[in-house]
Amino acid sequence: MQIAPSPHRNVLEAQGVTKVFREGREEVSVLNGVDLTVAPGEIVALEGPSGSGKTTFLSILGCILTPTSGRIVVDGEEIDASRPARLPAIRKRSIGFVFQQYNLFPALTALENVEYALNIKGTNGRQGRRQAEAAIDQVGLADRAHFLPRDLSGGQKQRVAIARALAGKPPVLLADEPTANLDTAVGGQILGLFRDLAKRENRGLLIVTHDPNVRAIADRVVKIRDGRIISDLPEAPVARLAMPIVEAPLSPRHSARRSRRKEKLS
Amino acid sequence: MPNLALKNLLHDKLRSVMTIAGVAFAVTLVFVQVGLFLGILDNASVTIDHIAADLWVTSRNTPNVDFAHGFPETRVQRVRSIPGVARAANLLVQFLNLTLPDGAEEGMLVYGLEDFKRWGIPWKIDSGDLADLKRGDYMFLDASAERRFGPFAVGDYREVMGYRVKILGRTRDALSFTTSPLAFLDYSLVQKLAGERMDGRSTYILVKLEPGADPAAVAAEIRQRLPWNDVYTRADWAKRSRGYWVASTGIGLNMYLTVFLGCLVGVVVVTQTLYTSTMEHIKEFGTVKAIGGSNRDIYRILGSQAVIAAVIGFVAGRLMAFALAPAMAEIRLKLIIPTEFAGIVFVGTLVLCLTAALVSFRKVSKIDPALVFRA
Repeated sequence: MQIAPSPHRNVLEAQGVTKVFREGREEVSVLNGVDLTVAPGEIVALEGPSGSGKTTFLSILGCILTPTSGRIVVDGEEIDASRPARLPAIRKRSIGFVFQQYNLFPALTALENVEYALNIKGTNGRQGRRQAEAAIDQVGLADRAHFLPRDLSGGQKQRVAIARALAGKPPVLLADEPTANLDTAVGGQILGLFRDLAKRENRGLLIVTHDPNVRAIADRVVKIRDGRIISDLPEAPVARLAMPIVEAPLSPRHSARRSRRKEKLS
Repeated sequence: MPNLALKNLLHDKLRSVMTIAGVAFAVTLVFVQVGLFLGILDNASVTIDHIAADLWVTSRNTPNVDFAHGFPETRVQRVRSIPGVARAANLLVQFLNLTLPDGAEEGMLVYGLEDFKRWGIPWKIDSGDLADLKRGDYMFLDASAERRFGPFAVGDYREVMGYRVKILGRTRDALSFTTSPLAFLDYSLVQKLAGERMDGRSTYILVKLEPGADPAAVAAEIRQRLPWNDVYTRADWAKRSRGYWVASTGIGLNMYLTVFLGCLVGVVVVTQTLYTSTMEHIKEFGTVKAIGGSNRDIYRILGSQAVIAAVIGFVAGRLMAFALAPAMAEIRLKLIIPTEFAGIVFVGTLVLCLTAALVSFRKVSKIDPALVFRA
């Protein structure tokens, strides 16, 4: 079902989502009526202990799994569980993923990783190459564009993964523990980058995390336990200010643009 | 578009080399086995292919050119009188014994004709003048005889069926299917050496047609006039001679079996390496799905890998078969690989490699994209 687009609609909506897995004769209920919304430009942190159901929820929101019941709307399109063949098209159009393990293609350079994602999404040829270069530039890796993932640091790999997630300009970014494999300083840079991208480009960002530093960039923190949302609160501005976020080193072009913006605001 | 299939192959160099080596091995095996088979079969009809006769008149039910038996030589006159026949000549083909200098006896296949030059046989002459054959007890012996008869030179004598015969010339590439060396003697000398049983008898009548004559009509007329003989066109006779050896020796079955095993080895190697590669890249394929790719996108990657392995493996296998040809020639084995056959092997290689990729297709079709979230 297509929901009529409105200028203020949420890019992600979940209502009463349940997920039950079968393990032999047993049924294991992982999600029990979960509700969540993410608005454009909003950053939501989803926190919860291991086994709380947050990765399953992320998979459902990312159209990788279908819910047992409940309603999922991604960028205005309601997910129809009876039509799983439609899910790849929604993923392709509306969702960008960032994974804990980066999941880059080791045989492709940083630039090619992004370009390949664009090609999958239907942007080919010179246009694909130009957009990939822009995305790599946007995450400050222009000078590492032709490096293979094995020659990049953890933080640089995650930047490539973010550039790949941005490919095709999806309105929703889903990140699974994006800072888990990074040290505090590099993790801070990545979070700064996320914040910039979400705010500047008005993308809805859901970050599944254990990392308390993520709160520093989150507009809302949603806590999940045993498959239920136990709290969904706006993050206090004080808490946000208390967290030191390292300014992400962007490319010279983007740095200049940011300086101009700051000057304008002041 | 970044070619993920090619990049993956270049990234996993060792596995790619193994895959390509497996394909190349199978291709080489098929080329060498079939090439040798065609080379040996070529020997079964090599004289038929070179003799400038449009029709062959044989004794009834002669199975192949080597196993000839006689009929009255005067029948050639009846053939010569048929309209459309430009010329006809008796040809004697006989296995005769040759006594070696050490006293051992070996068999050789002897061709007897009155005018060899006119019929274009032998076709490769290293030394000697065929016209001299009529002057006495002389013969041209093929160079391949050295493997069985020992070294010989023009001017040497050998004892054939108890007669001293001088070697006057040396030919090349004239081998029978049975690997018996070929010798070329004057028609009447062969009759003399063969003894009473071939006295006044011939084994074949070679027929050259006049330009524009209808081979089928002339053959029909010959059949009418020589009801106790068979008549074949050159192509049919060559086919019958080759077919005899394929059917009677098991060489055909052996060839098919080896080709089958070669293909099987190739498919198993490619299947195994592609499958292992797929399993190692399973998370990458999961990522392809997670970023919106479909099974078709992944099939394209795997299919491309199979095609790349097939193309490079085919080229390597073809080159290896080329490289082996001179070594085979050293031991008098011909490797014949017609272009059409190479084309068939290329298509077969592609089909088999893509078939091998099907096992991996099955695996990736069931990939759970959620695996991308697993550490």
